[in-house]
Amino acid sequence: MTPAEQPRLVEAVGLTRTFPMGAGPVHALRAVSMQIAAGDYLAIRGPSGCGKSTLLHILGCVDTPTGGTLIFDGQSVGALPDAERSAIRLRGIGFVFQRFFLLPMLTAAENIEVPQAEAGAGRRERRERTAELLEYVGLSHRATHRPSQLSGGEAQRVAIARALANRPRLLLADEPTGELDRATGDQIAALLDRVQHDGTAVVVVTHDAAIAARAARTLNMADGRLVGGDV
Amino acid sequence: MNAFAFAARSLIRQPGRSALGILGIAAVGALLFDMLLLSRGLVVSFRDLLDRDGFDIRVTATDAGPIGGPRLPHASPIAAEVAALPEVADAVPILMSDAEASHPGGPPVAISLLGIDARSGRHPWTISSGHDLEDVAAGTSGELLVNQALAASLTAALGDEIAIRVRCGPGRAPLPPSTFRVVGVAEFPFDDAVQLSGVVRRARMAGACDADGRDEADMILVSSRQGGGPDAAVSAIRRRRPDVHAATNEQIVARLAVSRFTYFRQISTVLSTITLLFGFLLITVLLTVSVNQRLGEIAAVRALGFSRARVAADVLWQSALLVGIGGLLALPVGVVLSIWLDAILKTMPGIPIALHFFVFEPRSLLLHAVLLAVTAVLAAAYPIALVTTLPIATTLRNEVVS
Amino acid sequence: MRAATIAGLLAIALAAGSAFAGAIPADSIPTILVSRQLREAQGLAIGDIVSLSSDPTGAHPQPFRIAGSYEPMPNPMLLGASRHEVRLHLPDLMTLTSDETNPLASESVDAINVAVPAPTDAGALAQRLASRIPGLVVRSTSANDDRAAPFVVLERFHLAIAIVTVIASSIFLLALMLMLVDERRETVGILRLIGVRRRRILLHVLAEGVVVAAAGALFGIVLSVAFEGGINRFFQWRYDTSLVFVRITPAIALRSITFAVPLGVAATFASSWTLLRREMFLLIRR
Repeated sequence: MTPAEQPRLVEAVGLTRTFPMGAGPVHALRAVSMQIAAGDYLAIRGPSGCGKSTLLHILGCVDTPTGGTLIFDGQSVGALPDAERSAIRLRGIGFVFQRFFLLPMLTAAENIEVPQAEAGAGRRERRERTAELLEYVGLSHRATHRPSQLSGGEAQRVAIARALANRPRLLLADEPTGELDRATGDQIAALLDRVQHDGTAVVVVTHDAAIAARAARTLNMADGRLVGGDV
Repeated sequence: MNAFAFAARSLIRQPGRSALGILGIAAVGALLFDMLLLSRGLVVSFRDLLDRDGFDIRVTATDAGPIGGPRLPHASPIAAEVAALPEVADAVPILMSDAEASHPGGPPVAISLLGIDARSGRHPWTISSGHDLEDVAAGTSGELLVNQALAASLTAALGDEIAIRVRCGPGRAPLPPSTFRVVGVAEFPFDDAVQLSGVVRRARMAGACDADGRDEADMILVSSRQGGGPDAAVSAIRRRRPDVHAATNEQIVARLAVSRFTYFRQISTVLSTITLLFGFLLITVLLTVSVNQRLGEIAAVRALGFSRARVAADVLWQSALLVGIGGLLALPVGVVLSIWLDAILKTMPGIPIALHFFVFEPRSLLLHAVLLAVTAVLAAAYPIALVTTLPIATTLRNEVVS
Repeated sequence: MRAATIAGLLAIALAAGSAFAGAIPADSIPTILVSRQLREAQGLAIGDIVSLSSDPTGAHPQPFRIAGSYEPMPNPMLLGASRHEVRLHLPDLMTLTSDETNPLASESVDAINVAVPAPTDAGALAQRLASRIPGLVVRSTSANDDRAAPFVVLERFHLAIAIVTVIASSIFLLALMLMLVDERRETVGILRLIGVRRRRILLHVLAEGVVVAAAGALFGIVLSVAFEGGINRFFQWRYDTSLVFVRITPAIALRSITFAVPLGVAATFASSWTLLRREMFLLIRR
């Protein structure tokens, strides 16, 4: 099945996001419409301040749009209360951040277990899944190490494993290689390729052309709007 | 990983800060515990002291009390009438006065002298050596019980004869001393650390004041009959003798609590409030700074799917752990502190050795726990508000930009 | 006289006194002073005629005219007790309380207060009097006095509380300083990286600590002075007393500054030192 034939996982129609500021409102998004299919691989590119991260946050139910509708897995999420949006993020969406945001007082394995525990998984199930994910990202030998003992690339791999902990249908990555060198960035990009290949839809926000080239589709943004690419 | 384990890890992550928070709570918690002990300590201890001698009712001429108030005239018939009541088990008239005692040839020392009828088996003292006052024929040396301090002061042994000059009331010239024989050493529950006390028979004490036939008493100690209780006995006494004032130990304690002990209750209230405020400030500041330093982390876990309730629970557990562990540590520290403070306050003149200012009651422990629990919850309120209203997207963006 | 207040001995039967006022010429009625509390409680006024009796039943009352009102000496041991007191001329009190069976009743008092020209002679005079009149208890007011003991004990008690409070405050202060210093971790790390020595950073921290501690101590004293009036007014109202509960003196203020400034500086120093001890790369690492 081609991506076009896959069922729609995310549908965004006319999304706008305005931030009221002292010097006047900032229109971070202006009527953005797009879809993400199950298993899709999408890159969103654009210059700094064009609204790519804002779009990603709205797609990930981290932020609410000022206008427009967002449908995730057939459910409109715009008006949902925070508890339900949190549940969607916990089970349906995985997040990877530029700065990793691993919990420093937990080991790599414990960081991966945290979302599973929050989703109610039992201890045995968590242990098995964590071992599986550490193996997946090639860090089984670093399970008991804390984030301060990991390199940047290793930390980001743990972050990806954490994002996949509850088998989300959508993985959102915001500049995942932003703080990494080229070689390490390529390793992370390859890992994201593999994640997508295994069935999870991946959306990557990046201003790195090489990373974007690995995606099946690219959306270009400028000044809060989609200005080209494969909508 | 549940919220409790998460909170514990967060505290362990900042060991210095957490340890100081716990120690701070331990220090103020100890003071709080002591103030709770002090708030009712005197009342409880004084009640215990009154109850110790087995007499649960005091009868006096007026409500002014036995010290400073007028004496009961015709004490023996009053005591007999009271003792005859079915609600009463025993009634013992007591006469109190200041006196001077001396070993023959030795210097006099000022003592507190009690006069009591020796017929009754129950007395407000405990014999530690020798024997109690007995009925002996008139004309022989009067019997004298002394406390340990008086025995030591006069270097008096059992059988020694002691001259006692009774101060026979206002304006009375001192009369020649009377001779008494030491028959026993006793412990008097109301003696203070330096008090020299003695007991003779009431009739002999009146005789020493050339007041034979003046049947007076400062107070009649009454014990109620088992099953009836002191309240029933007091009601019966009031019905039979409305001209005297009868009060249960409980009523006496209640009156003193209002008039004499109120200062310590006030101190207790003020210091309890200050310590709670201090604890609240300490934990609020610790948690707020901790939250502000971890905003990115908190936004990240919220983005991962942690609900507001979950992040709030994390903060609440942190507060509970800090206050809980500190509160537990506060108890042994508080006990030691209370012993020290009690020793200081007991040096006040006139305070009976057996009286304590800090007395443990289970309700103090419960109140301590409840107050600390409330403090923990209130202290977490502002940091919880911070984490639950945290704008996730803005915070993530700011973390990247910074 | 037994060691009891006048209020304890006298059963004050405060009758209207008008019957007496009519029967006895006003200028021959002896005068008394009543305590403010008694005056307010009984609604008495200066010039009122009252009757006093030493009998609990109020028998044999005698009339007296209220010449004035006085404030009883504050006594922390009597906080909450009703200070209903009366002061009489000595002969009047003797007449009122005389024991008819005691021939010496009109010649006996509880105490005689003696004023000496030079207070330094009081102790020597007390000893001479005691040796000349056996059985007499003579005490100089400047000597160690049992009656001041409750105040001394309370002072020690409050000092003990203050010690505990200072310990708790020091812990709080150290915790705050640790947090404040931690916020400057990156700045300190960068300074160290560019070559600034530890000693120089510590001196800077020390100077800052002195300023902050001194300002904090002064602010604390200002706050205490501001609260002093309120606390005293509240407790004076609560207990109907003129006792002063809190008094901030220059000595106390100086003592507070002497404690607070070194504590503040020490806390700043200690917390900064824990930071400076670390490797500079650890300071700037996220």
